[in-house]
Amino acid sequence: MDFFTSMDISSSALTAERTRMNLISSNIANANSTRTQEGGPYKRKDAVFASTAPAAASFKSALQSAARKNSAGVEVIEVVEDPNPPRLQYDPSHPDADAQGYVAYPNVNVVEEMADMIAATRAYEANITASQAAKSMAMKTLEISR
Amino acid sequence: MPIEGIFSNTIELLGKSIDLRAKNHNHISANLANAETPNYIPATLSFEGELRDALKSNKSANPGKKAVSHPRHIPLKGQANSLASVEGRIVETPAPGIGRDGNAVELEQEMGKLAANQIMYNASVQIIGKKFEGLKSAIKGQ
Repeated sequence: MDFFTSMDISSSALTAERTRMNLISSNIANANSTRTQEGGPYKRKDAVFASTAPAAASFKSALQSAARKNSAGVEVIEVVEDPNPPRLQYDPSHPDADAQGYVAYPNVNVVEEMADMIAATRAYEANITASQAAKSMAMKTLEISR
Repeated sequence: MPIEGIFSNTIELLGKSIDLRAKNHNHISANLANAETPNYIPATLSFEGELRDALKSNKSANPGKKAVSHPRHIPLKGQANSLASVEGRIVETPAPGIGRDGNAVELEQEMGKLAANQIMYNASVQIIGKKFEGLKSAIKGQ
């Protein structure tokens, strides 16, 4: 019985989705930040997900996971910056305006971030449900000998 | 009276079913965890057919004898040796419309599979419980 594997898989996804949610919050919070430590306006950040096989203890288990015998969790392997150019807005009175009077605002689209946030929430809920299912199945098993 | 007489195939069959459903749950959890991972193809465990074949060959064989005449003989395809040897096959179940990122998980489909698997699991557990309950009341003579 390996219900704990299933719970580990679900919790790896919860961690990944939460990291994504943090990045989305950061994007929304900095939607109008024109100054950053690296210089220039804030750049939109996004998480890259990759599936992970559970740590292989032996050659045999490594071989099995290579043959897709083992189910895999998920992890955030990289946080990438959106390469799209900043949003230029005409505002000559702004201290960060260039010679033509344009201010470079972050390349964050708040509507897009909201949609991403809903997707992350739903994914989080789905994994919670899977984890609860594993728990209730394990508890049900204990009822056999009652 | 041999011990198989009391428990017959039921306990072994239901136990195997519970075991395989628990494994299937792992696969479905992994599919849900990777619902947004690029290039991920979902997979589930398929064992119903194999389990049925094993049950058939178990019934047709004489009780107390194995389905094959020699332990090192390889059973014919689709004819599993015994219930204990059923392991199921991992089949990839990509959604019909693969997204632009190559991810083939459909959340609704996976949630449906999760619910179905859980219900079947609970059903097996309940039946095994009833079997033991029946044996107990037979022993007590009530």
